[in-house]
This record gives sequence, structure tokens and C-alpha cells, in this order.
Amino acid sequence: MSNNWEMVIGLEVHAQLKTSSKLFSSSPNQFGSEPNENVNFIDSGMPGMLPVMNFGCIEMAIKTGYALNFKINKYSVFERKNYFYPDLPQGYQISQFEFPILSEGYINIDSGDNQKKIRIERAHLEQDAGKSIHDIDPKYSFIDLNRVGTPLLEIVSYPDLSSADEVINYMSSLRQLLMYIDVCDGNMQEGSLRADVNLSVRKKGQELGTRCEIKNLNSFKFIKQAIEYEFQRQINIIDGGGEIEQNTMLFDTSTGETRAMRSKEFSHDYRYFPDPDLLPVNLSQEQIDKIKPLVGELPQDKLNKYLDNYSLDKDIAKIIIAEKQNANLFEKMISESTVKPKFIAAWLVGDIFAFIKENNLEVNSLNDKTKDITDLLKLISDDVISNKAGKEILPKVLNGEGKPSELVKELGLEQVSDSGELEKIIDEALVGEEENILKFQGGSDRVLGYFVGKCLKATKGKGNPKLINKILLEKLKK
Amino acid sequence: MSDIDIKRISYLAKLKLPSEKEEFYSNSLKDIIKWVDNLKKVDTSKTEPLHNVTEKTVSIRNDEVSKSNSVNDVLSNAPERAQNFFKVPKVVE
Repeated sequence: MSNNWEMVIGLEVHAQLKTSSKLFSSSPNQFGSEPNENVNFIDSGMPGMLPVMNFGCIEMAIKTGYALNFKINKYSVFERKNYFYPDLPQGYQISQFEFPILSEGYINIDSGDNQKKIRIERAHLEQDAGKSIHDIDPKYSFIDLNRVGTPLLEIVSYPDLSSADEVINYMSSLRQLLMYIDVCDGNMQEGSLRADVNLSVRKKGQELGTRCEIKNLNSFKFIKQAIEYEFQRQINIIDGGGEIEQNTMLFDTSTGETRAMRSKEFSHDYRYFPDPDLLPVNLSQEQIDKIKPLVGELPQDKLNKYLDNYSLDKDIAKIIIAEKQNANLFEKMISESTVKPKFIAAWLVGDIFAFIKENNLEVNSLNDKTKDITDLLKLISDDVISNKAGKEILPKVLNGEGKPSELVKELGLEQVSDSGELEKIIDEALVGEEENILKFQGGSDRVLGYFVGKCLKATKGKGNPKLINKILLEKLKK
Repeated sequence: MSDIDIKRISYLAKLKLPSEKEEFYSNSLKDIIKWVDNLKKVDTSKTEPLHNVTEKTVSIRNDEVSKSNSVNDVLSNAPERAQNFFKVPKVVE
């Protein structure tokens, strides 16, 4: 039914910048403080207070400009966007309108097996609003202004997205990039990154339909749910002979449905004008150039490096670059040891990440254990201990219960790699096995497994399987 | 000149207008706009927009925190407070 329909989506993403202080005041930019703790007279909109630009926000915007392939504008202007709401004490939001700091960028996202280029129209700096709490008192709203003036970078894409999955991929790529360049903590639950979704539907190949905007989605799950619901809602209206009204919608997380906001008729009368309290931003090329080296390696650079220099499998490389802290941990281990990167990577995305997940840890928390981890991996890759013994010791090393070499001794897990000793054991194992030896020589490979098992058992599992295999083969072929 | 939607303007300005005054204010506003429209007589097609009369750039500060007041200072002008929140008539979407 919905097969002939397609959705056309553009995204407005609000990223809170992780500066120490606010966009135009020196109050702390901090989540989770006591109500109205981080509010000064500028934030609370007291008459006569003047905003002063935080250059840290400009720096972060420029870094974002480099990471998202934007044109970085030397000239940008702050304007007032006027609307009334109790959690906006100034009566206007200071934002950028006609002259944003960044314009015409793009990123590439995964779409199925291919890459798709998503164009980004602009990104501008603006103030966040405060928070209203409506559920404490039936008649009153309680206002916490801590968030007022928090710097936001609003990143506005072109309507280049055409499925919920693409939107999720776009959003997670943005999140990954912003976290790599250290301008946003990416914490969607706390609202550090949120999206407004503009969605319209059309029959394939036809002209754009009327769009609706779903406001303020702060999780990947809600974004997907809201898109799927809104897509079907619009199709049902058109199929029923109706027309789509251009509306601002809210997403109800408890029902999974979207509904139109009531005050829609007044929602777009913002009466923008340049803020007389703030002069235009005039950046020099030198100021912009100086920030470029701060951008650092981006995920795509790391991916290329991991594939080309370390010959990792693409799937494994992608897991490692997903978050900067993974990549940092991985590269720290490489720099501190002679174990092959590919071997380190396999253990990292396998047992080490499993341990982190099981114990609810931050990846960063292992940063001071990298030497112990690579020491252990070295023992494994040098065949001093078996893979199995390595798996047994790893959690103890990660828990800080001892040094790998000590743990190996303590637990008696050292592998027998002395070929003389193994030879003796193998000779004993072959006694009385004339029949099986003949079978092997007659071409039955299965017998080899039987012999290896028997020898391993004789070494109580500590024999080096590779070496046992090798010696066995030599002896059996005689 | 397009007509003036005086109801909408009074809503945006948060001013309550008695209905018998609507026409009066509507006409006054029209007169003001007509007067301001004189500016349109100037040919600005070759003039760059001027956003500020001083040709300087915005003054900046480093990203540093300083606290200049207490919660009580900020809440001292609140019409009503509850614990450390401002308490206002319910405005909910």
C-alpha cells in the first residue's frame, strides 16, 4: 500500500557545545546542577545587562565547519528571534538568521551498501532556552533557567534523507563527528543532541508535498518511531482524499503518536532583527586557519588508516572507530606493544568490549590498564599461554588482580612449549595405537584430531596445540 | 500596503485591546507604517546593508566561568518562587 509512497526528510539538529561557560555570559555551562544555580543577570534577562560573546563557541563552530565540509563565513550576524515563553526571560532568543557562521556543508552516510552524500544548508550559533516543569503543581509551571544561554549549534540539512534508517545514520554520523572533534558530549538523554524532523510524503517521482515538523526528538528510537508514524499519518490523509496542513507536531513518547501543537497559527512570527547589543562577528583568515589543526583525525581518516596500515577487517575497524574513546584505547595499545594491531583489535572488540559491557564500564576506564592488557596479549600471541588460558586471565587483569605473567604462574596456566617434553608425552600417547596410526596413514584425517586431543589431555590442557600438531604429524608420517 | 491584523499584533505584543479601540489602533499603526515607508523612496540597490553604525567587530571573552551572584539574587525579583524555582501561571503545550 505505502509502496508507491516515499518520504522526504530534512533534519534540524541542535548540538549543545561543551564549553565551560555560556554563549553570552560567564555562568557555568553545566548539566544537572541545582535549579537556577547557573544563572546570572544576563541569563535571567535583567534590564541593562549586555551579552558578551564567548570565543570558545566560535572556535567550536569553526572546528565543526572543518569536520562537516562547511564554508566558514568570516562575517556573521546575531539576530533576535522574538517569542514569548516563561523559560525565555529575555523575550527573544539570540540566534543567527541571514548570516550564519557556517554554510553549504555535507557529510557522507551509509545507505544500504552504498554511501550517500547528505548536503547541509547551514549551521548557526544560538542560545538554548530554560526548562519548564509542568507536573509538580496543577496550576503552576516551575521554571529552571540553568539551561538559558547554553550555546547551541543548529545544523540544518537539506531534504536529502529518504528513510528512517538514513535519518538514524545521518544523526549518528553527526554525533560521532561532533564527539571526535570534542565540541559536543553527544549525550542524547540529557538533551545535548536533539533533532527536529521535517517530513513530507509524495508518490515516487512526483513533486514535494507539504511538510510537517516534528519537534525535539532526543533518542534514535523516538526519531524512528516518530518518522514511521508521521509517514503513515500523512499517507492516510492523502489516501482519504484530504490535504496535509503545514503543522508543527509534537511526538508523544508514551503512545508513539504525533499530534499538532495548538498554538500553530502563531508559531512562525518571530520578527527577526539584528541584535543591537551585539556587533557582527568579523573573523580573520588567520583566526580561522589557526583552528584547523585542532580538528584532529576524523573517523574516516582512522578507518582508512586501520584498513591500510593495520589490515583490519572493515567490520572490526568500524566498531573501533564508532567512538573516539575506542580508537584512543586501541591506538594506545598499539603504541605500547609489539603485538600485531590485528590481534589486538580482535581481542578488543571481542573479550575486552564484552567485559566492559558486562560490568557497565566506560571504555576510558581501561586507559591505565593498556600495558597489562598488551602484556597478556603478547603472552598469547607468543604461545606462552593458550587462547583459552588468555580468556581466563583477561578479566582478572582488567579487574587489576595482578600482572599477567604473575597470574599465569599463580594459576599454572603456562603452556608447555618445550618440544622435548612434548615429544615424550606424544610418544607415550602413541603406545598401543598401531591400528589408528595405520588408519591415519591410510588417509583418515579424523584420527589426527583424536591424537591431538589425547596428547592435550595428557598435558592437562597445557600443551601448546600448534606444537603438538606439528610433532604429531612428523611422527605419524614416518 | 497590506491590511493590518490588529488582533494578531495585540496577541504578539501581549496587549489586551478592547474591541471598540481596534479600529483606532489599526489606523494609527497604518499611519506610522506609511510614514516609515518614506524610506523606500531611497534607492538602496547599490548599498551594502549596515548592521551596526560602528564598524567594529563583536567584543569577545575567553571561555572562562565566573559566578557573579547567588540563586537568591536571581530569584529576588520573581513574582513567586517555590524552593529554587520561579513559579508562574501554567503555560503548557
